Amino acid sequence: MRVAFSIILAFLWALPAAADDLRVTIHSARPFGYFVGDLIRAHVEILAPGDVTLSASSLPHPGPLGVSLDLRDVSVRVKAEGAHKRWDVDLVYQNFYVALDVRNIEIPSFELRFGDGTVTVPAWKVGVSPLREIAPAKQERPEDYLRPDTPMVFADEAPPKFLTLLFAILSSLVLAAVARDRAWPPFHQRRARIFSALAHRLAAQTRGGADASVLSLAFKSMHRAIDLANGASLLADDLPGFLSRRPEFASLKPSFDRFFSASRSSFFAVEGAPPADYSLAELLDFARALARRERAR
Amino acid sequence: MNNVSQAEQELAEWRERAIAFEQEIQKAVIGQARVIRLATICIFARGHVMIEGDVGVGKTTLLRAVSRALGGDFARVEGTVDMMPSDILYHTYLGDDGRPRVEASELLRLAKTLPVFFFNEINRARPQVHSLLLRLMAERSVTAFNQLVRFPYLQVFADRNMVEREETFELPAAARDRFFMEISMQAPTDPEARRKLVFDSAFQDVDALLERVKPGTVDYRRIGHVARTIQETVKASATLQNYVLGLWRGLTEPASVGISLPDVDVTTLVKGGASPRGLATLARAARVRAWLEGRDYLTPDDIKDVFFEVMAHRIFVDPIHALRGDEPVKQLCHAVFDATPVP
Repeated sequence: MRVAFSIILAFLWALPAAADDLRVTIHSARPFGYFVGDLIRAHVEILAPGDVTLSASSLPHPGPLGVSLDLRDVSVRVKAEGAHKRWDVDLVYQNFYVALDVRNIEIPSFELRFGDGTVTVPAWKVGVSPLREIAPAKQERPEDYLRPDTPMVFADEAPPKFLTLLFAILSSLVLAAVARDRAWPPFHQRRARIFSALAHRLAAQTRGGADASVLSLAFKSMHRAIDLANGASLLADDLPGFLSRRPEFASLKPSFDRFFSASRSSFFAVEGAPPADYSLAELLDFARALARRERAR
Repeated sequence: MNNVSQAEQELAEWRERAIAFEQEIQKAVIGQARVIRLATICIFARGHVMIEGDVGVGKTTLLRAVSRALGGDFARVEGTVDMMPSDILYHTYLGDDGRPRVEASELLRLAKTLPVFFFNEINRARPQVHSLLLRLMAERSVTAFNQLVRFPYLQVFADRNMVEREETFELPAAARDRFFMEISMQAPTDPEARRKLVFDSAFQDVDALLERVKPGTVDYRRIGHVARTIQETVKASATLQNYVLGLWRGLTEPASVGISLPDVDVTTLVKGGASPRGLATLARAARVRAWLEGRDYLTPDDIKDVFFEVMAHRIFVDPIHALRGDEPVKQLCHAVFDATPVP
């Protein structure tokens, strides 16, 4: 980030240098205002023909360049630019010159070898400044010369604890809802299968015989099972309402109608007489069909 | 055997006429199929009817249409706070010679040919008037001019305006019990019927509207006989009788059949009513409904269909719930049907 910032500033101040068809430009953050120990960042841009390559051995080596200037770091990047290549050499110098007044120091030149030719990056200068003490106002206590510590932050623990608790409860509820939806334990018990149980009971009754009293009892069992599924006693005229509330049974409407009509004639029209055209086997089939629809829910 | 098949054939013919009767009334009163069906049940059960509802929903039009379809005459009085029983029986006026005269009222004059006596806004009349009316309803006779006058075909249709409370006299429980049904009449909910009632000018001229109803679709003089035949012919099986007894038990002792209602203590809810007369009336109405449905036996659906209109006004709840209107009774009736198994 800092490098990028320097490069942007560099356009304020750039040193161009050219040799034959190689073009050299030096960019630096600023040409002045360096103190002892500061890093001086320079960015050398060389535009070279596409077919020549920078010889890495010609790059300057990090190390002391004089008594008061070190080269800290060198890095090279290359990028194609049309028929040319742009070589970017990033150099980091460190100034150790303890200046007593404002003056320029020289960053030495160096040569870079491209194929058979060489290009000289010229020497350039930066201004260094002395470090001068600024006398602070007289303080009575020595500790007053120090800047005060950052005040301590007192964190209130109650809201985070409350939020933790709240989110814990919410998470538990959501987990419970997911568990219920997916039928994970302890929600793995299935919904009561009223008609499956009825079909089992009727099948057992059928094996015991199929006289009129058995059929009458079976009809009553079927009525109780339908009442249970409806949540209230269901009369024949209430059937459309039931089928709209429980659409999974809607496809069995003809069977329902037949059953209710048979039940009506058996219990209310001719007392005690089983319906002539309705057998226990048909009732059992009806119960099984209901059980299948119930499971498909 | 021959008599039975003859009765059955007669009932089948009369059923067609009853359906035609309903259709005739529907020409004048639209969107009220249920109210018309209940009124038809009352007519063929020879019961007196209380119609209650908002002003302007068509109560009077319905009754006039019924009267026209039945043939016979139509008498009507308006309940007022200063009305006395004699106002119903006598017509007083000053003769040409300036002397006061007393003659028989319209009701008395038409006694022999009157199937519909319409008492408008019954709750505006005083209890003295109610007592006369109750006698008329119970015995179909009154004493006037020192003579017993009989009304062989009479059915009373009363109307109660529930909007106003001032200068009204609420009917006592015993009086309400004399009414066969209390039918609530609301504005129709069907948008098409509503549109017609508002924008079709035919529905704003009541007299022209009633012209559409064919007079005498059923003969009011034969209805007594038909009503008796219906009650004799339509069977109630033992299972159905047990079912009705179960309903009765549920009404009088709701807690014993496991009924519980939100915000209501069911053990103290019902204070009275649900009398043997009420249940007998229920069976009577249900038989007519079964006949209209084309059956010669009762089913629980017949009972359920007429239950609220026949029974609700005969069930008296703890006064603490009275302010909630008929809602607790309605809830109780629903709960009793939900809790009573069929068959």
